[in-house]
Amino acid sequence: MLTIAILLPILAAIGVGLARNVSTGDGERRLQQVATVVAAVPLILLLVAWSRFGGSGGFEQVETVPWIPTLGVAWKVGVDGLSLPLATMTALLFVVAIAYPVDFRGRAAAYLALMLFLEGVSIGLFLAQDLFLFFVFWDVSLVAMYFLIGAWGHGDAARSALKFFVYTFAGSLPLLLAILALYLASEPRTFDMAELIRQQPLAGAGLYAMVVFLGFFLGFAIKTPMVPFHTWLPPAHVDAPGPASAILAGVLLKMGTYGFVRILMSMMPDAFADLAFPLAVLAVISIVYGALVALAQTNLKRLIAYTSVNHMGYVILGLAVAGVVAPGQEAAQRLALDGATLEMVAHGLITGGLFLISGSILTRGGTYEIAEYGGLLDRTRGLTVGTAVLAFASLGLPGLAGFVAEFQIFAGTLGVFPVLAMVALIGIVVTAALFLRMLGQMFLGPLPERWRSLPDLGRVVLGAIGLLVALVVLIGVAPALVLDVIDSFVAPFVAG
Amino acid sequence: MILLAPLVPLLAAGAGWWLLPRRGSGWLLLVALVLTMGAAGWVVASSTRELTIGWGPVLSLSLGATAFGATMLLLIPAIAAPIIGYAYVTEAASRRSLVPLLLVFVATMELLVLSRDLLMLLVAWELVGAMSWLLIGHRWRDPGPPSAARITFITTRIGDLGLYAAAGVLFAATGSFRIDAIMALDRPAADLVAAGLLLAASAKSAQVPFAQWLFAAMAGPTPVSALLHSATLVAAGAYLLIVTSPLLGAVPWFLPAIALVGLVTAFAGGVVAALQSDAKPALAGSTSAQYGLMFIAIGAGAPAIAGAQLVIHAVFKSLLFLGAGVAMHESGSGRLAGMRLGRLRPVTALLSAIGLLALAAVPLTGGGWSKEAIVAAADERSVLVGTLVLASGALTAFYAMRLGLLMWGPGQRGTAREERPRLRADDLTMLPLAAGTVALSMLWLPGGAAWLAGADGRGFDLFSLLLSMGVIAAGALAAVALDRRGTLLAPAGDRGAELARTWLGFIPLFQSAVARESMRLADTLARFDARVVDAGVRLIWRLTRTLSRAIAYRDVVTVDGAVRAIGSGTLLTADLSRIADERGVDGTVEGTGRAVGRAGLESRRLQTGMSHEYLQLIAAGLAVALFILVIAR
Repeated sequence: MLTIAILLPILAAIGVGLARNVSTGDGERRLQQVATVVAAVPLILLLVAWSRFGGSGGFEQVETVPWIPTLGVAWKVGVDGLSLPLATMTALLFVVAIAYPVDFRGRAAAYLALMLFLEGVSIGLFLAQDLFLFFVFWDVSLVAMYFLIGAWGHGDAARSALKFFVYTFAGSLPLLLAILALYLASEPRTFDMAELIRQQPLAGAGLYAMVVFLGFFLGFAIKTPMVPFHTWLPPAHVDAPGPASAILAGVLLKMGTYGFVRILMSMMPDAFADLAFPLAVLAVISIVYGALVALAQTNLKRLIAYTSVNHMGYVILGLAVAGVVAPGQEAAQRLALDGATLEMVAHGLITGGLFLISGSILTRGGTYEIAEYGGLLDRTRGLTVGTAVLAFASLGLPGLAGFVAEFQIFAGTLGVFPVLAMVALIGIVVTAALFLRMLGQMFLGPLPERWRSLPDLGRVVLGAIGLLVALVVLIGVAPALVLDVIDSFVAPFVAG
Repeated sequence: MILLAPLVPLLAAGAGWWLLPRRGSGWLLLVALVLTMGAAGWVVASSTRELTIGWGPVLSLSLGATAFGATMLLLIPAIAAPIIGYAYVTEAASRRSLVPLLLVFVATMELLVLSRDLLMLLVAWELVGAMSWLLIGHRWRDPGPPSAARITFITTRIGDLGLYAAAGVLFAATGSFRIDAIMALDRPAADLVAAGLLLAASAKSAQVPFAQWLFAAMAGPTPVSALLHSATLVAAGAYLLIVTSPLLGAVPWFLPAIALVGLVTAFAGGVVAALQSDAKPALAGSTSAQYGLMFIAIGAGAPAIAGAQLVIHAVFKSLLFLGAGVAMHESGSGRLAGMRLGRLRPVTALLSAIGLLALAAVPLTGGGWSKEAIVAAADERSVLVGTLVLASGALTAFYAMRLGLLMWGPGQRGTAREERPRLRADDLTMLPLAAGTVALSMLWLPGGAAWLAGADGRGFDLFSLLLSMGVIAAGALAAVALDRRGTLLAPAGDRGAELARTWLGFIPLFQSAVARESMRLADTLARFDARVVDAGVRLIWRLTRTLSRAIAYRDVVTVDGAVRAIGSGTLLTADLSRIADERGVDGTVEGTGRAVGRAGLESRRLQTGMSHEYLQLIAAGLAVALFILVIAR
């Protein structure tokens, strides 16, 4: 069933890509509806998997097909408390993104095919139980995103897409080498994740383990992205079409943090524990630096992009806290890892929504410059309310998804790295300042003459944003819905 | 069932959104307000049981009414009801959004005083802050209110960090977020929690050095000011310390620090109130000072007295704000210079005078009782502090008298006057608050303070009472004397007015400077990010290109080696040179423009063949992977 969730959108992508007679607006709309329905199938399948999820702590609902047995490579997919929420969030975000209206530039079939392809690949990455498979999905996702930005972007799209591709591809080479090194150290040799976690092939390997760690770290840190490897992110976001931007922030960035937990923390916990403190320092730098640089931005998308750097910093901080050796603070570590994992989901929904909204603002006003707008609340109730709720969620207001995640990360960190936690707290004041300033400048105050006829969101967009907002509120009010699943992975993990 | 207290106003707010535009909605609102008070009363009367809501595998929220929490639970809707009525009467145009928001404000505050753990408290605490953002920015079409709302939210959020830290430290030390777990803390965890709580409470209760956000909060409509100064937002800080200070006996500096903050604020706020030339900011200075008195009482180890002061202040301060709203409406501006409306609105003047007497802490008023109790409590700890509090009474009496004369004085003969004094709709909403203020005089009766747990059985000796009356009389007479000389409006001249306008220089020093320096730092970092961090990346790309070109030329001796290497060189070299080429091109494109022509040429070439080159690149990468695998086996 999980296999279908991965392969169906990929196969459907071929069908959609070959579709004819879609040059008319009507044809494009119909094809988009078909693609949306196809995209919803993995979501339904994952919700079924969710309902069947037992929370045993290990991988469940595993499906295996031998692929290259001599190398120990297999098509092996399954879920646990870490991958299930991420894969489900991914499927949901893709449904919303694919349904979202966008300027197809006359190539609707290609656009929708790429989105469907990317959906299958992204879900596959989170469900893969085999390192080789993981890497294939990792690399292929870059290609799909490259074309989405390059072909349907605006501004200097070609350059931004290129920078995104080359930068993240440069990160995937050390990642590949590290995967191979891990493979070569295993006995018997295997790419099977569960087996590698059991074997701990590099335990006590000293310098060799450090080098391998560094390879993984580079790959994941660039993708996450952590300061100072983040400069590919803002241009990619600014020039990408809204839905691609939402996927980039909501899904692709999570691949980096997911890799941190799935590979580094699970397969090399000793090396991770040794390096957890410097990692936490780097995370705090990402938090404060990302927030401050975001504060200085005048471009809406750049602003949101830098808050992603800030939020991914929270995630890494929670991971570092959970991965260090801290006797007696297991409860705090559990809190931190619960929070960090929930933050991945929450950030996907919140920032995904904010980027979709940015796209709608661009199609209406023609610019991302915040100062160009003002008083939009007068014209656009739905747009304003959606943006305000998501902005408050992003700045960590209780009752919305971001708070539960960030509070747990802070509370956990205070037990393990109290000084770093105090510094990291500055981040929530700065993000509050920048989001309230953005809301004030764009939506409140007097309405400039030129926006007197700005239309509010259409029905599809309102539904899409409304769905994300509803989920952000639901998780914020009843976080146990997601946290219980996450904790089935976290509790045994922290207990060792 | 405990949840009824916040849920009823929340549901009323939702219903109000639909029903308020209709005719006869006033009666429905009255029912909603009565239900809100009833829900709170029912929660207080029915149970002291606790409610725990699971919020996840580790987190839970616990709610329940403590002794003082129950008082607050009743106080909040009791104060809010007349204020919301006033909003309904006076803000007819915007009542549809204002009234529901005020009801949600009440709901969040009810949630706050029901919190039994720091997580629930933090949730409610931040929601109260977010509501204040919505309410202060309510007149969002004007340019001012949105930024004023932002200043309020951010200043109080700086304080919220203390609450985050306190909650985290408490959990790390005890494995629980429960407020009563604070008692079990050892130092230094207890010190951290104490510091965090003091920071959070000081910012919320407008104490030095955060007090100046109260001026920004004036951008909200009058009912918003009335509510947030009395029973909500600002009250949350003092409430937090009243509840937690008895649990932190392990921290010797905690109570003295609270008292010090309160003492400084009592004088600073008093001076600001005395010199202000506008009505609402003068009341804001007074609020800050009055909460300073509460902090002194808490610091003197008498949280119950602070609680009494909170209740009494809530009643008379909301009354005074509503009166100020009437005065501003009648005179057309908030400036004290153009008021003296005693002849025009004699009933309002009378109702306000009741509030001013309580503010001036005249004996036999409720305000007088709590003031005497605070002096007595402070005296027990330190005669110096007790004396200073007594002396601050002169300042309070002075500005209360000043406000009374400037706002409600009879004015010159021939000014507009009411034909026949009558009770208008806005006066009617002030009536319950005035009645409440009068009723609180019962505190002076024997056993009159029995309902305030821990505050009863306190007597004042005659000598200190006489001394207090003398001090108050001196302050009030000074105001009268200045009025005779015609300098009451600006007792310390233009410089004094300027000083009050900038909150004794705190606004330029903290608010503006901190904001400006943060922005400058942010701008510097953003430039650093664009020029240095990204330039480093570009430099690496350029170096890689040069290096790999060199290798490529040595390996493949053809004229156009770098390009043809793909077909003929080893896979590894080709891979490197291809990546490097792309990176190099990117570097050139982004570069200074030295090689504009070449960059244009190459980027054009890129755009034509990009897709298949990338597929080649990936194929090459996979081939390398397989190559290594084969060798490794």
